[in-house]
Amino acid sequence: MGLLTNILLAPFLGPVWASKWTLDKVDRVVREELTDDTPIKEDLMKLQLQLEMGEIDDAEYARQEAEIMRRLRDVREWREKFGMSTGAGPVRVAGSDDTE
Amino acid sequence: MTTDPVQMTAAESVSAATEPTPGAGKYVYCIIRNDRSREFGEIGIGSASRVYTVNHNDLAAVVSDTPIVIYDPTRENVLAHEFVNETVMREFTLIPMSFGTVFRSEKDVLQLLKSTYQAFTDVLDKMQDKIEFGLKILWDRDKVVAAIERENDEIRRLKDEITRNAASSTYFARMQLGRLVEAAMEEASNRYVTDVHEQLKDTSVASRSNKVIGDRMILNAAFLVDRKDEKQFDEKVKAISLQYEDLLTFKYTGPWPPYNFVNIKLKLEKAI
Repeated sequence: MGLLTNILLAPFLGPVWASKWTLDKVDRVVREELTDDTPIKEDLMKLQLQLEMGEIDDAEYARQEAEIMRRLRDVREWREKFGMSTGAGPVRVAGSDDTE
Repeated sequence: MTTDPVQMTAAESVSAATEPTPGAGKYVYCIIRNDRSREFGEIGIGSASRVYTVNHNDLAAVVSDTPIVIYDPTRENVLAHEFVNETVMREFTLIPMSFGTVFRSEKDVLQLLKSTYQAFTDVLDKMQDKIEFGLKILWDRDKVVAAIERENDEIRRLKDEITRNAASSTYFARMQLGRLVEAAMEEASNRYVTDVHEQLKDTSVASRSNKVIGDRMILNAAFLVDRKDEKQFDEKVKAISLQYEDLLTFKYTGPWPPYNFVNIKLKLEKAI
Protein backbone atom coordinates (compact mmCIF):
# COMPACT_ATOMS: atom_id res chain seq x y z
CA MET A 1 0.00 0.00 0.00
CA GLY A 2 2.74 2.42 1.00
CA LEU A 3 4.76 1.93 -2.14
CA LEU A 4 1.71 2.07 -4.37
CA THR A 5 0.54 5.27 -2.73
CA ASN A 6 3.91 6.83 -3.31
CA ILE A 7 3.95 5.84 -6.94
CA LEU A 8 0.42 6.96 -7.51
CA LEU A 9 0.94 10.25 -5.82
CA ALA A 10 4.45 10.82 -7.10
CA PRO A 11 3.59 13.30 -9.81
CA PHE A 12 1.87 15.44 -7.23
CA LEU A 13 4.27 15.13 -4.35
CA GLY A 14 7.40 15.24 -6.45
CA PRO A 15 7.17 18.79 -7.69
CA VAL A 16 6.03 20.04 -4.31
CA TRP A 17 9.06 18.61 -2.53
CA ALA A 18 11.33 19.87 -5.23
CA SER A 19 10.07 23.41 -5.13
CA LYS A 20 10.11 23.53 -1.36
CA TRP A 21 13.74 22.43 -1.30
CA THR A 22 14.64 25.00 -3.95
CA LEU A 23 12.88 27.80 -2.11
CA ASP A 24 14.71 26.94 1.11
CA LYS A 25 17.98 27.00 -0.73
CA VAL A 26 17.23 30.21 -2.58
CA ASP A 27 16.10 31.73 0.69
CA ARG A 28 19.39 30.81 2.32
CA VAL A 29 21.51 32.12 -0.55
CA VAL A 30 19.55 35.35 -0.78
CA ARG A 31 19.73 35.79 2.96
CA GLU A 32 23.50 35.37 2.94
CA GLU A 33 23.86 37.83 0.11
CA LEU A 34 21.59 40.40 1.75
CA THR A 35 23.36 40.22 5.09
CA ASP A 36 27.03 40.04 4.06
CA ASP A 37 28.85 43.36 4.21
CA THR A 38 32.31 41.97 3.39
CA PRO A 39 32.19 42.82 -0.35
CA ILE A 40 30.89 46.31 0.49
CA LYS A 41 33.75 46.95 2.90
CA GLU A 42 36.19 45.75 0.24
CA ASP A 43 34.67 48.19 -2.23
CA LEU A 44 35.11 50.99 0.32
CA MET A 45 38.78 50.09 0.79
CA LYS A 46 39.32 50.03 -2.96
CA LEU A 47 37.67 53.42 -3.26
CA GLN A 48 39.88 54.85 -0.52
CA LEU A 49 42.95 53.50 -2.27
CA GLN A 50 41.87 55.10 -5.55
CA LEU A 51 41.58 58.45 -3.79
CA GLU A 52 44.95 58.03 -2.08
CA MET A 53 46.59 57.14 -5.40
CA GLY A 54 45.07 60.21 -7.02
CA GLU A 55 43.04 58.14 -9.49
CA ILE A 56 39.78 59.83 -8.54
CA ASP A 57 38.99 63.28 -7.16
CA ASP A 58 37.10 64.23 -4.00
CA ALA A 59 33.81 64.73 -5.83
CA GLU A 60 33.94 61.27 -7.40
CA TYR A 61 34.92 59.81 -4.05
CA ALA A 62 31.96 61.47 -2.33
CA ARG A 63 29.57 60.22 -5.02
CA GLN A 64 30.73 56.60 -4.75
CA GLU A 65 30.99 56.76 -0.98
CA ALA A 66 27.35 57.76 -0.70
CA GLU A 67 26.38 54.70 -2.72
CA ILE A 68 28.51 52.41 -0.55
CA MET A 69 27.00 53.88 2.65
CA ARG A 70 23.55 53.22 1.23
CA ARG A 71 24.49 49.58 0.61
CA LEU A 72 25.91 49.26 4.14
CA ARG A 73 22.68 50.61 5.61
CA ASP A 74 20.66 48.16 3.52
CA VAL A 75 22.70 45.24 4.85
CA ARG A 76 22.25 46.56 8.39
CA GLU A 77 18.50 46.69 7.91
CA TRP A 78 18.36 43.15 6.58
CA ARG A 79 20.51 41.88 9.43
CA GLU A 80 18.14 43.49 11.90
CA LYS A 81 15.18 41.92 10.16
CA PHE A 82 16.81 38.50 10.44
CA GLY A 83 17.79 39.17 14.07
CA MET A 84 21.53 39.12 13.36
CA SER A 85 24.21 41.31 14.94
CA THR A 86 24.87 44.57 13.12
CA GLY A 87 28.18 45.75 14.56
CA ALA A 88 26.71 49.19 15.11
CA GLY A 89 24.64 51.15 17.58
CA PRO A 90 24.91 51.64 21.32
CA VAL A 91 26.57 48.90 23.33
CA ARG A 92 27.33 47.96 26.89
CA VAL A 93 29.38 45.29 28.58
CA ALA A 94 27.59 41.97 28.17
CA GLY A 95 25.92 40.78 31.33
CA SER A 96 26.38 44.04 33.17
CA ASP A 97 23.51 44.90 35.42
CA ASP A 98 21.71 48.22 35.18
CA THR A 99 21.04 48.41 38.89
CA GLU A 100 24.68 47.92 39.81
CA MET B 1 25.89 34.24 23.93
CA THR B 2 28.84 34.16 21.56
CA THR B 3 32.28 35.44 22.43
CA ASP B 4 33.00 37.34 19.23
CA PRO B 5 35.29 40.32 19.57
CA VAL B 6 33.16 43.34 20.21
CA GLN B 7 29.88 41.54 20.06
CA MET B 8 27.16 43.94 19.07
CA THR B 9 23.62 43.06 18.26
CA ALA B 10 20.91 44.88 16.40
CA ALA B 11 20.55 48.59 16.97
CA GLU B 12 18.46 51.51 15.92
CA SER B 13 19.18 53.48 12.82
CA VAL B 14 19.92 57.20 12.92
CA SER B 15 16.35 58.22 12.28
CA ALA B 16 14.93 55.88 14.89
CA ALA B 17 17.07 57.22 17.71
CA THR B 18 14.84 58.04 20.64
CA GLU B 19 17.28 59.23 23.22
CA PRO B 20 15.44 61.25 25.87
CA THR B 21 18.58 63.18 26.83
CA PRO B 22 20.54 63.86 23.67
CA GLY B 23 24.28 63.89 24.25
CA ALA B 24 24.16 61.42 27.09
CA GLY B 25 25.74 58.77 24.86
CA LYS B 26 29.51 58.38 24.86
CA TYR B 27 31.55 57.74 21.75
CA VAL B 28 34.71 55.90 22.88
CA TYR B 29 37.93 56.46 20.89
CA CYS B 30 40.54 54.68 22.95
CA ILE B 31 41.74 53.56 26.36
CA ILE B 32 44.80 55.11 28.00
CA ARG B 33 46.56 54.97 31.33
CA ASN B 34 46.02 58.20 33.22
CA ASP B 35 44.79 58.69 36.77
CA ARG B 36 43.33 62.18 36.38
CA SER B 37 40.84 63.66 33.97
CA ARG B 38 42.08 65.23 30.77
CA GLU B 39 40.68 67.38 27.98
CA PHE B 40 41.79 66.98 24.38
CA GLY B 41 39.92 69.88 22.78
CA GLU B 42 36.75 70.20 20.72
CA ILE B 43 37.62 67.66 18.08
CA GLY B 44 34.99 64.97 18.61
CA ILE B 45 33.24 62.99 15.90
CA GLY B 46 29.98 64.36 14.52
CA SER B 47 29.79 67.90 15.84
CA ALA B 48 33.34 68.69 17.00
CA SER B 49 32.25 68.17 20.58
CA ARG B 50 34.63 68.20 23.50
CA VAL B 51 36.89 65.18 23.92
CA TYR B 52 37.63 64.22 27.51
CA THR B 53 38.28 61.22 29.72
CA VAL B 54 36.12 58.97 31.86
CA ASN B 55 38.39 57.65 34.58
CA HIS B 56 38.55 54.49 36.66
CA ASN B 57 41.62 54.14 38.88
CA ASP B 58 44.63 54.58 36.59
CA LEU B 59 42.70 53.81 33.40
CA ALA B 60 40.81 56.32 31.29
CA ALA B 61 38.48 56.05 28.33
CA VAL B 62 38.80 58.93 25.87
CA VAL B 63 35.24 59.90 24.90
CA SER B 64 33.00 62.59 23.51
CA ASP B 65 29.28 63.13 24.05
CA THR B 66 27.06 61.89 21.26
CA PRO B 67 23.43 61.24 20.52
CA ILE B 68 22.68 57.52 20.31
CA VAL B 69 23.25 57.04 16.59
CA ILE B 70 25.04 54.71 14.22
CA TYR B 71 28.07 56.37 12.65
CA ASP B 72 28.56 55.44 9.01
CA PRO B 73 32.22 54.81 8.17
CA THR B 74 32.39 57.81 5.84
CA ARG B 75 35.78 59.37 5.22
CA GLU B 76 34.79 62.36 7.32
CA ASN B 77 33.78 60.22 10.31
CA VAL B 78 36.74 57.88 10.07
CA LEU B 79 39.15 60.81 9.84
CA ALA B 80 37.54 62.41 12.90
CA HIS B 81 37.97 59.16 14.84
CA GLU B 82 41.59 58.87 13.71
CA PHE B 83 42.35 62.51 14.41
CA VAL B 84 41.34 62.13 18.05
CA ASN B 85 43.53 59.05 18.42
CA GLU B 86 46.44 60.82 16.75
CA THR B 87 46.06 63.72 19.16
CA VAL B 88 45.94 61.43 22.20
CA MET B 89 48.87 59.43 20.86
CA ARG B 90 51.20 62.39 21.06
CA GLU B 91 51.20 61.96 24.83
CA PHE B 92 49.88 58.52 25.62
CA THR B 93 50.16 54.89 24.71
CA LEU B 94 46.65 53.93 23.71
CA ILE B 95 44.40 50.98 22.94
CA PRO B 96 42.20 52.02 20.02
CA MET B 97 38.50 51.12 20.06
CA SER B 98 36.73 50.01 16.89
CA PHE B 99 35.25 52.77 14.82
CA GLY B 100 31.68 53.65 15.82
CA THR B 101 31.67 52.31 19.40
CA VAL B 102 28.94 54.17 21.28
CA PHE B 103 27.93 53.57 24.88
CA ARG B 104 24.61 54.72 26.19
CA SER B 105 25.93 56.39 29.33
CA GLU B 106 29.03 57.22 31.33
CA LYS B 107 28.07 54.43 33.70
CA ASP B 108 28.35 51.90 30.87
CA VAL B 109 31.81 53.22 30.00
CA LEU B 110 32.87 52.83 33.64
CA GLN B 111 31.52 49.31 33.55
CA LEU B 112 33.74 48.62 30.53
CA LEU B 113 36.84 49.95 32.33
CA LYS B 114 36.06 47.94 35.47
CA SER B 115 35.24 44.65 33.81
CA THR B 116 38.15 44.76 31.36
CA TYR B 117 40.63 46.39 33.73
CA GLN B 118 43.19 43.59 33.76
CA ALA B 119 43.17 42.97 29.99
CA PHE B 120 43.50 46.70 29.24
CA THR B 121 46.36 46.99 31.73
CA ASP B 122 48.22 44.01 30.26
CA VAL B 123 47.88 45.29 26.69
CA LEU B 124 48.91 48.83 27.68
CA ASP B 125 52.05 47.38 29.27
CA LYS B 126 52.80 45.41 26.13
CA MET B 127 52.11 48.36 23.82
CA GLN B 128 54.03 50.87 25.91
CA ASP B 129 55.87 53.21 23.51
CA LYS B 130 54.95 51.15 20.45
CA ILE B 131 53.53 52.66 17.28
CA GLU B 132 52.24 51.22 14.07
CA PHE B 133 53.16 51.97 10.47
CA GLY B 134 51.24 50.91 7.41
CA LEU B 135 52.98 49.86 4.24
CA LYS B 136 51.17 49.11 1.03
CA ILE B 137 53.13 48.15 -2.06
CA LEU B 138 51.64 48.33 -5.53
CA TRP B 139 53.29 47.31 -8.73
CA ASP B 140 53.10 48.49 -12.27
CA ARG B 141 52.36 45.31 -14.21
CA ASP B 142 53.91 46.50 -17.46
CA LYS B 143 57.16 47.51 -15.81
CA VAL B 144 57.42 44.26 -13.88
CA VAL B 145 56.76 42.26 -17.07
CA ALA B 146 59.47 44.28 -18.84
CA ALA B 147 61.90 43.58 -16.00
CA ILE B 148 61.08 39.89 -16.11
CA GLU B 149 61.71 39.78 -19.84
CA ARG B 150 65.08 41.40 -19.31
CA GLU B 151 66.10 38.93 -16.62
CA ASN B 152 64.53 35.68 -17.76
CA ASP B 153 66.32 34.11 -20.77
CA GLU B 154 63.69 31.52 -21.48
CA ILE B 155 60.89 34.07 -21.59
CA ARG B 156 62.90 36.44 -23.75
CA ARG B 157 63.82 33.66 -26.19
CA LEU B 158 60.22 32.47 -26.48
CA LYS B 159 58.97 36.00 -26.99
CA ASP B 160 61.55 36.74 -29.69
CA GLU B 161 60.55 33.53 -31.41
CA ILE B 162 56.89 34.44 -31.37
CA THR B 163 57.62 37.96 -32.63
CA ARG B 164 59.87 36.71 -35.44
CA ASN B 165 57.40 34.13 -36.68
CA ALA B 166 54.32 36.14 -35.93
CA ALA B 167 52.29 34.47 -38.63
CA SER B 168 53.29 30.90 -37.92
CA SER B 169 53.77 30.98 -34.17
CA THR B 170 51.41 28.60 -32.55
CA TYR B 171 48.69 29.19 -30.07
CA PHE B 172 50.57 26.88 -27.73
CA ALA B 173 53.75 28.93 -27.83
CA ARG B 174 51.73 31.97 -26.80
CA MET B 175 49.99 29.99 -24.09
CA GLN B 176 53.31 28.80 -22.80
CA LEU B 177 54.69 32.33 -22.76
CA GLY B 178 51.66 33.53 -20.82
CA ARG B 179 52.09 30.78 -18.26
CA LEU B 180 55.80 31.46 -17.85
CA VAL B 181 55.21 35.19 -17.37
CA GLU B 182 52.43 34.52 -14.86
CA ALA B 183 54.67 32.21 -12.83
CA ALA B 184 57.62 34.61 -13.02
CA MET B 185 55.41 37.44 -11.79
CA GLU B 186 54.21 35.47 -8.81
CA GLU B 187 57.79 34.54 -8.04
CA ALA B 188 58.83 38.20 -8.35
CA SER B 189 56.00 39.34 -6.07
CA ASN B 190 57.06 36.84 -3.39
CA ARG B 191 60.67 37.87 -3.78
CA TYR B 192 59.89 41.60 -3.36
CA VAL B 193 57.64 41.00 -0.36
CA THR B 194 60.14 38.70 1.35
CA ASP B 195 62.93 41.18 0.75
CA VAL B 196 60.94 44.08 2.22
CA HIS B 197 60.02 42.05 5.32
CA GLU B 198 63.61 40.92 5.68
CA GLN B 199 64.97 44.47 5.49
CA LEU B 200 62.45 45.80 8.02
CA LYS B 201 62.75 42.94 10.47
CA ASP B 202 65.48 44.45 12.62
CA THR B 203 63.79 47.80 13.19
CA SER B 204 60.28 46.47 13.93
CA VAL B 205 58.84 44.47 16.80
CA ALA B 206 56.21 42.63 14.78
CA SER B 207 54.47 42.72 11.44
CA ARG B 208 51.15 41.63 10.10
CA SER B 209 50.05 41.12 6.51
CA ASN B 210 46.49 42.00 5.64
CA LYS B 211 44.51 41.04 2.57
CA VAL B 212 45.64 43.00 -0.48
CA ILE B 213 43.19 45.49 -2.00
CA GLY B 214 42.60 45.47 -5.75
CA ASP B 215 44.78 43.72 -8.33
CA ARG B 216 47.85 45.97 -8.29
CA MET B 217 48.71 45.55 -4.63
CA ILE B 218 51.28 42.94 -3.60
CA LEU B 219 51.67 43.87 0.05
CA ASN B 220 49.31 45.36 2.62
CA ALA B 221 51.19 45.18 5.88
CA ALA B 222 51.31 46.78 9.31
CA PHE B 223 54.50 47.04 11.35
CA LEU B 224 54.74 47.53 15.08
CA VAL B 225 57.71 49.73 15.88
CA ASP B 226 59.32 50.92 19.08
CA ARG B 227 59.15 54.69 19.35
CA LYS B 228 62.91 54.88 19.76
CA ASP B 229 63.36 53.07 16.42
CA GLU B 230 60.91 55.29 14.54
CA LYS B 231 63.55 57.29 12.69
CA GLN B 232 65.55 54.21 11.75
CA PHE B 233 62.46 52.44 10.48
CA ASP B 234 61.53 55.52 8.51
CA GLU B 235 64.90 55.70 6.83
CA LYS B 236 64.85 51.99 6.07
CA VAL B 237 61.47 52.28 4.32
CA LYS B 238 62.71 55.22 2.28
CA ALA B 239 65.84 53.31 1.26
CA ILE B 240 63.80 50.29 0.16
CA SER B 241 61.38 52.43 -1.82
CA LEU B 242 64.36 54.01 -3.61
CA GLN B 243 65.78 50.59 -4.33
CA TYR B 244 62.53 49.57 -6.06
CA GLU B 245 61.46 52.94 -7.36
CA ASP B 246 61.38 51.81 -11.00
CA LEU B 247 59.05 48.91 -10.33
CA LEU B 248 56.98 49.49 -7.24
CA THR B 249 54.91 52.21 -5.65
CA PHE B 250 55.19 52.46 -1.85
CA LYS B 251 52.31 53.82 0.21
CA TYR B 252 53.70 54.44 3.67
CA THR B 253 51.50 55.78 6.48
CA GLY B 254 51.75 56.42 10.19
CA PRO B 255 52.47 56.58 12.97
CA TRP B 256 49.17 54.97 13.93
CA PRO B 257 47.90 53.56 17.19
CA PRO B 258 48.49 49.78 17.20
CA TYR B 259 45.23 49.00 15.39
CA ASN B 260 46.55 45.74 13.97
CA PHE B 261 48.27 44.45 17.06
CA VAL B 262 45.64 44.80 19.76
CA ASN B 263 43.01 42.14 19.88
CA ILE B 264 40.97 42.28 23.05
CA LYS B 265 37.77 40.33 22.88
CA LEU B 266 35.27 42.66 24.46
CA LYS B 267 31.97 41.10 25.35
CA LEU B 268 29.60 43.85 24.39
CA GLU B 269 25.94 43.62 23.69
CA LYS B 270 23.27 45.94 22.44
CA ALA B 271 22.25 48.49 25.04
CA ILE B 272 18.50 48.80 25.03
